[in-house]
Amino acid sequence: MKGQMAGNDDVVPSYAELHALSDFSFQRGASSARELFDRARSLRYQALAITDECSLAGIVRAWEAAKGGDCRLIVGSEIRLHDGPVLVLLVEDHAGYSALCQLITRGRRAAPKGEYRLGMTDMKGIGEGLCVLWAPGPLHRGDAAQHEAHGAWVASTFPGRAWLAVELHRGPDDDAELEALRTLGQHHGLPCVAAGDVHMHIRQRRALHDVLTAIRINTPVAEAGHALFPNGERHLRRREVLGRIYPPDLLAESTRIAARCLFRMDALNYVYPRELVPEGSTPARHLRELTQTHMGNRWPNGVPPAMAATIERELALIAELKYEAFFLTVYDIVRFARSKDILCQGRGSAANSVVCYCLGITEVDPANAGLLFERFISAERNEPPDIDVDFEHERREEVIQYIYGKYGRERAALAATVITYRSKSAARDVGRALGLSEDQLDQLSHAYSHAHGEVDIGVRLRERGFDTSSRTIRQLVALVEELRGMPRHLSQHVGGFVIADQPLYSLVPVENATMDDRTVIQWDKDDLESMRLLKVDCLALGMLTCLRKTLDLLRDHRGIHYQRLADIPIGDKATYRMIRAADTIGVFQIESRAQMSMLPRLKPKDYYDLVVQVAIVRPGPIQGGMVHPYLKRRSGEEKPDYPSDKVREVLERTLGVPIFQEQVMRLLMVAADFTAGEADHLRRSMAAWKRHGGLEHFEQRIFEGFAKNNYSQEFAARIFSQIQGFGSYGFPESHAAGFALLAYISSYIKCHHPEVFTCALLNSQPMGFYAPAQLVQDLRRQGFEVRPSDVTASTWDCSLEPVHARDGGHPKAELALRLGMRMIAGLSSDVAQRVSDARAQAPFSNLDDLCRRAALSRSERERLADAGALRMLSGHRHRARWESAGIERDLPMLGTTGEERAILRPPTVAENVFADYATHGLSLTAHPLSLVRGQLRRRRACVASQLPSMEHGRWIRHAGLVTVRQRPETASGVTFLTLEDETGQVNVVVRRDIAERQREVFLGAVLMAVDGELQAVEGVRHLIARRLHDYGDLLPGFGPVSRDFH
Amino acid sequence: MLWACLRFPGLAFAAAFAALPEDAPGALLEDNARRRTVAIANPAAQKLGVQRGQSVAAARALCPNLAVRPRDKAAEGHLLAELAAWCYQFSGHVSLAPPQCLLLEAGASLRLFDGWSALSGKLGQGLAALGHVHTLAAAPYPAAAWVLAASFDGCVVQYPEQVLRLLDDIALTHSGLPARNVQALRSMGFRRLREVFALPRPELTRRIGREGMHWLDRLRGHANETIPAWQPPATFFQRIEFDEELEGSEPLMFPLRRMTQALANMLAARDGGVQLFRLRLEHARESSTDIQVGMAAPQREAAHLFELARTRLERSTLHAPVRAIELHAEQLPTFRPPLRDLFDPVRGEGLDWSALDERLRARMGESALRQLSAVADHRPERAWRRGDGSTSPQADPRPRPLWLLHRPRPMRPTPTRVLAGPERIESGWWDGGDLRRDYYIVGTRQGQRAWAYLPAGSHDGWMLHGWFA
Repeated sequence: MKGQMAGNDDVVPSYAELHALSDFSFQRGASSARELFDRARSLRYQALAITDECSLAGIVRAWEAAKGGDCRLIVGSEIRLHDGPVLVLLVEDHAGYSALCQLITRGRRAAPKGEYRLGMTDMKGIGEGLCVLWAPGPLHRGDAAQHEAHGAWVASTFPGRAWLAVELHRGPDDDAELEALRTLGQHHGLPCVAAGDVHMHIRQRRALHDVLTAIRINTPVAEAGHALFPNGERHLRRREVLGRIYPPDLLAESTRIAARCLFRMDALNYVYPRELVPEGSTPARHLRELTQTHMGNRWPNGVPPAMAATIERELALIAELKYEAFFLTVYDIVRFARSKDILCQGRGSAANSVVCYCLGITEVDPANAGLLFERFISAERNEPPDIDVDFEHERREEVIQYIYGKYGRERAALAATVITYRSKSAARDVGRALGLSEDQLDQLSHAYSHAHGEVDIGVRLRERGFDTSSRTIRQLVALVEELRGMPRHLSQHVGGFVIADQPLYSLVPVENATMDDRTVIQWDKDDLESMRLLKVDCLALGMLTCLRKTLDLLRDHRGIHYQRLADIPIGDKATYRMIRAADTIGVFQIESRAQMSMLPRLKPKDYYDLVVQVAIVRPGPIQGGMVHPYLKRRSGEEKPDYPSDKVREVLERTLGVPIFQEQVMRLLMVAADFTAGEADHLRRSMAAWKRHGGLEHFEQRIFEGFAKNNYSQEFAARIFSQIQGFGSYGFPESHAAGFALLAYISSYIKCHHPEVFTCALLNSQPMGFYAPAQLVQDLRRQGFEVRPSDVTASTWDCSLEPVHARDGGHPKAELALRLGMRMIAGLSSDVAQRVSDARAQAPFSNLDDLCRRAALSRSERERLADAGALRMLSGHRHRARWESAGIERDLPMLGTTGEERAILRPPTVAENVFADYATHGLSLTAHPLSLVRGQLRRRRACVASQLPSMEHGRWIRHAGLVTVRQRPETASGVTFLTLEDETGQVNVVVRRDIAERQREVFLGAVLMAVDGELQAVEGVRHLIARRLHDYGDLLPGFGPVSRDFH
Repeated sequence: MLWACLRFPGLAFAAAFAALPEDAPGALLEDNARRRTVAIANPAAQKLGVQRGQSVAAARALCPNLAVRPRDKAAEGHLLAELAAWCYQFSGHVSLAPPQCLLLEAGASLRLFDGWSALSGKLGQGLAALGHVHTLAAAPYPAAAWVLAASFDGCVVQYPEQVLRLLDDIALTHSGLPARNVQALRSMGFRRLREVFALPRPELTRRIGREGMHWLDRLRGHANETIPAWQPPATFFQRIEFDEELEGSEPLMFPLRRMTQALANMLAARDGGVQLFRLRLEHARESSTDIQVGMAAPQREAAHLFELARTRLERSTLHAPVRAIELHAEQLPTFRPPLRDLFDPVRGEGLDWSALDERLRARMGESALRQLSAVADHRPERAWRRGDGSTSPQADPRPRPLWLLHRPRPMRPTPTRVLAGPERIESGWWDGGDLRRDYYIVGTRQGQRAWAYLPAGSHDGWMLHGWFA
C-alpha cells in the first residue's frame, strides 16, 4: 500500500534526531532530557539534539543525561522569529555555541521575563559554527508565497549551512507533503533532512502534552481544538517506523549533520575573574600573601606552629584544586562589606578553613572548634568549594551593587532557580485544563496541599467532595503525578552570583528577572556545579542586622566597643548556663519550640555542642531516629560503640551517632563502599528526591554496601531514613558551624545586655520565631522597664533611655526600653521622622503645636491618638482622638482652644488593652487575660506559672491567647500551639484527630482553653490536648495575635 | 407621613444562589476583590465559624462543604427592583434603599388598607409567599424607619418624641452613620446615639463632617428630604443561573414560576400586560435554546403566564442540560388589546431567507430546522455540530468528505487503492471519546472516492466513514 511502501523494511536506517524539545521549553515539551535520552539510547539513535525554544536552561541536564551513553548530545535551540520562519540552530563548535548564547541573550533581554523577541534582522551575521534547519511545518497549512520567500531568505542568509527539515507526522497526505517539501528545497538549493519535531519521549505522554498546551493557551483541553496536536506522533519513533516514513537519503542526511555538530559542553572554558590578582602576581602567590598579611590580626603574639602547618596544608590543597580565585573573590566581597561596616559571616565547606579565618571570611576559629578544613574539602572528592556569605539583611543590596559595579553586568549575574510543579500547583493547572470550576480548583488545592504522604490523595479528594471513580478525577490524579516535578518557569536565585572573566553570554544565555535591573543566567545551582562555574552566595540574614544594631547600642549606651563579632568573649559560662535553661527567646536558631525543648536535654556546654544542637533538631536526624541515642550517650546512659575503626573516625565527635550530612556521606564511603563520586551524586540527588523520586537505586546500593561490610540491617535502615530526612532539609556540619557562632553571640548579648538585645531585635523585625509581644514580655519578666511609644519621647526605632534622668550618659546606668513609633501598625517612618525633627528643635507645647510643626495629616493624628502616643499632650485616648479630630488641616492656627469642652468618658482598662493590641500587637497596661481572670478561675483554668510545680501526668485546664500555631514537617500530623496568659507561656501538643474533630476551635480560637494531660520529661513541659474550648466570648472583639507556621 | 421600611437580610443570598437549602452553609464573596474573601456568610456557615473577611481557603478549612458564590450586586439590584414592583400595589410611592431595603410611603395607604396591622399583615403574607425573609418598621422620617427596621422589627412610631426615645438606645454601629464616622466616634469613647446627640453641634460637625451631621438630622426629622420614587421599567429581563446542570424540563418549573411571578408583579406595577416574551435556556459551550411565548392578547396574571410558558417549555425538546434560564419581555403594551381595522390590507411580500426560516420554524417547530457549524476538534465525529450557525470557527484545512456517515461502518468490499494517507488521528482522551485511527482517502471498485480508516498501526479492519463528492 502506498503509505507504507516508502522505504525498505529490511534495513534499519541510522538516524540522529535534530529537533527535540525537553520540558525546559516550558508548557511545550512533555518529557525530561533524561527520559528523552533513555529512550533515544534504547532506540539506538546516533545523536539527539536538545533544541529548547530560545533557551539553554535544560542543556546541562541534557548533557548529564547523555553522559556515558552512546547517544551523543547535540546542543541547539529552536528559534521562532516573530517576522519569519521557525529555525533550529545546532552548534558545531565553540564559536557557534557562543554565538547561540549571545543570540538567545539578545532575544530574551529584548522582551519581558519569560518571553523573547527575535526577528529576521537579528539573524544577520549569525551562522558561523552553526547548522541551521528551517522547519516550515505542514505546507497545507501555510501560504505558498511566504514559504518561497522564507526559503530564499534562509538560503541567502546561511549559505552552505542551511537545510530544510522535513517533519512528517502522519498528516492527511504525507507523500504529497514530502514531494512539495523536496520541490521547495530544490528550488532554493536547500538539502532536505528528516527531523521529528519531538515534544515527548513516548506516545503515552500525549495526554500530558495536551494538558500542557491547554495550560499554555489558558483554555480547557476540551476547548483547545486545533491547538492540540492531532496525534501523538511527535515522540521519539522507532527507526524502523522512520524508515517507512522517510526516504533513506533524508535519514542519512541527519547523521551527516550530526557528524558536523561535535561541540561538547565540557569544552567550555570558564575563567575566574582575573582582576583579583595584582599585575605580575599569580592567584596562588597572592592568596598566600594575603593570608600571611592577615595572620597577624588573628594571632598578634605569633602564629602557633600547628596553625601555620595547617595553613600550609590548606594552601597546597587549594592550589592543587585551583580554587585560589574563588577564595580571592569571596575575600574581595567580604573586604568591601567590612569597609562599609556591614556585618557578614561565611559558612559552608570551604569557609571552615584557617585560610578563611585569617582572611576574615568567617569568625569561627576552626582550630578552636575542632573543625578541620580537610574534612570538608578533599582532592579525591570532586565537590566544588562552597562558601555562603550572610550579610545584614537591610544592607545586602549594597553588596550586590558592589559586585555589579566591580565586574559589570556582562560578567556578573544571578543564578536561576528552576521552579517546578508541586502537587498543589500541578493539581490547579491540570484541574483548570480539565475544565473544573474556579471553586473546584480551590477544593483541589486544598486536597493536594494537605497531602502529606501518609494520607492517600483519594481519601483527601473524597473528603472535598470529588468522585474519585469518575473518569475526570482519575485522569486528573494520574496527570498530576506526571506533571509534578516538571519545570514550570525560571526564577532568580536568592543570592547566588556567577562571576566570570569573559562576558557571561559567551558561556550561558542571560535573561531578564522580575526585579528591574537584575539579570539571571539560564542555569541553576546544580547546573553551575556540573559546569564547574564559580558561584558566590550573598544571602541576607536578619540576625546580622540585629547584631549590628546591638553593637551600635552597646557603644552608645555602655561604652563597649566591639569592632567585630570576633571581639565578643567566647566560652562564657553564664551564657551557656542561660542556654541550658532554655532561656533563649529571640536568639539565633535555638529559639524555636523544638530547639528550646531540646536544650535542657542536650545541655550544651561548649561551642561544638551548639553546632550539634543547631543540626540535631532537623528532619534528617529526627527521621533517622538519631536524637535519642545521641542524648543517651551524652548523658552516659549508653556507651558509644563503633563497629569499626573507620566508623569511629567518622562518628567519634558525635559519640557514634551520625548527625551531620557530611558524616552520613562519609559513612557510606568508609562502610558501604561508595566511591567519592557516588556519594556526591547521592548528596545532589537528595535535595531532589522528594520531587522526582530516584533514590530507589541508591537504596539497594546502600543496603548491599552495608551488608557486605557486616553492618546490621537495622543500622543501614536508620542511615537510609536519615538520608531521606535530609532530602527535605539536609543540614551539613559546615553550615551548622557558622550558625552556631551566631547563636552563641546572640545568646551572649541576651545574657549580659538583655535590654540592648531586645531593643535591637525589635528594630530588626520582622524576623525570628517570636512576635514583639513575646520579646517585650520576656524583657519585662527579667525586671526591665518598658515604656510606651510617645510623641514626646519616641523615635521611629525603639530606643534605650536612662530609668532615672540624672543617670544620663553613665555607662552603668539602669536603662529602660522606649518603644519606637515603628511598633505602631500602619504608621510610616516618615511621620516618625517629622515628629523627631520637630521635637529636636523644641519640645511640643500642646497638640496643636505638634500637629502644626510635624505637619500631621488627619489620619496620622488619628493613628497616633489611637496608639496612645499623644498621652503626654492630650491625656487619655478618647480625649486625644477628640482633640486631634478637631484640628482642621487647612486652618492649623485656629486650633481647638476656643471649642466648647465636650464631656468625654476615659477609656476603661479593658478598652486600653484592646486598643494597645489593635495598634501595637501588645500591651504594657495589662495582659488581656488578667481582665477576665475571675471568670477563668470560675471556669477552673489554671495559670501558666502554676505548671512548673505540677507533677507529670496531671489533668488540667489551661487557657491563654494562641500566639503560635506550628506544624513541623517532622512531627507528622501534630501541631504545636503556644498559649500565653499573664504569667507566661504554655506549650500545647494537639494531635491530628483532635485538630480535625475540633477544627473550628483549633483554627479559629483567639482565646483558647485546653483540657489535657501535663507531660514533664527531663525538664520539658507540654500539655497534651484532649479537648479544646473557644473562650472567645470572654474577650469579644479581640483580634487574633497568632503567628501560624506551616 | 408615615414611612415604612422593609429590610431583606437574605437578599444578597437570594440574588446569588438560585436555590440553596437553608441548612446548607453558604457564603458570598466580595465581588471585585482580587483576594477571594467572604463578604457575607449565612447562619449555617456562621455557626461553623465562617466570618466576613476570611479568605475562602480559611473558610473552607472550617467548613469543607461551604458553597461559595461571588456577590452579584447587579442581581441584587434586579431583585430589589422586582420587590419594589411587587410593593407598588400597596403604595404609589416606593423607593429603593440599596442594597437591601425598600421604603414605602404608608400614610396615604393606611386608610385604603384598613390600618397598619392589616397593611403589615398583607405585606408579611405576600413576602412570605414569595420566599423573602424581612423586617419591617415605620416612622415619620424615612431615615428613622430605616434604622428602626434593623433594630426593632415590627415597631411603628408616629410621634417625634417616641422616635427620639428609640433612637437614643441605638448603638452607633447600627446607626447608619458612615463607617468612618462610626469608627471615629467609637474611638472617642461614644457607644450610643444618645451620647452623640448630646454633643455640641459645631464641635461635632467639625469631627464628623457635614455628611454625618446631615444623617443625624435626617434621623431626627430635622432635615427636609425628598425621597426619589421608583418607576416601573419599560422592559423586563431576569436571569437565573443554576449550580448544577438541570436535565429535562421538570426541574425548570420552580425557577420558571419565580420568573413569571416577577414578570406579573412588574406588569401589575406598570398597569400593563405582555403579549410576547422569550425564554432562553443556556447549555454548555455557549449554545442555547430559545422559546417564544406569544398570546393572542396582552396578559398579566401570574398563573396564566406560568401556564403558558410551562406548556411551551414542555413541548420543546432540550438537546442538552440547562445551565441558566432567562426571561425577556421587551414589548409591554397596555393591558387593553388594540382594536383592529377590519380593512387593513395584507401587505404582499416575497419570502426572504429569514422569513422562510421563521415561517418554517413556526410551522414545523424549532426542532425541525438545523444548521451545521464547524467545531475545532480533531475527531471527525466531533468536528461539527447542529446549531444556530451564528458562530463558525475556521474550517479545517485538511481534506474532509462532504458526506460524513452518521456512524462509521465496516467497509465491504475493502478499498482497491489508497489515494492518500494514512492521516493519523489520536485525540479525545479527556471526554471518554479517545480514538486512535489511521484515515485514508481510498478508491472503490466503482471509482468512488471514500474516506475510510484502520485502527492506528494495523492493516485490516477497514471502516468507512464518509464519501467525497
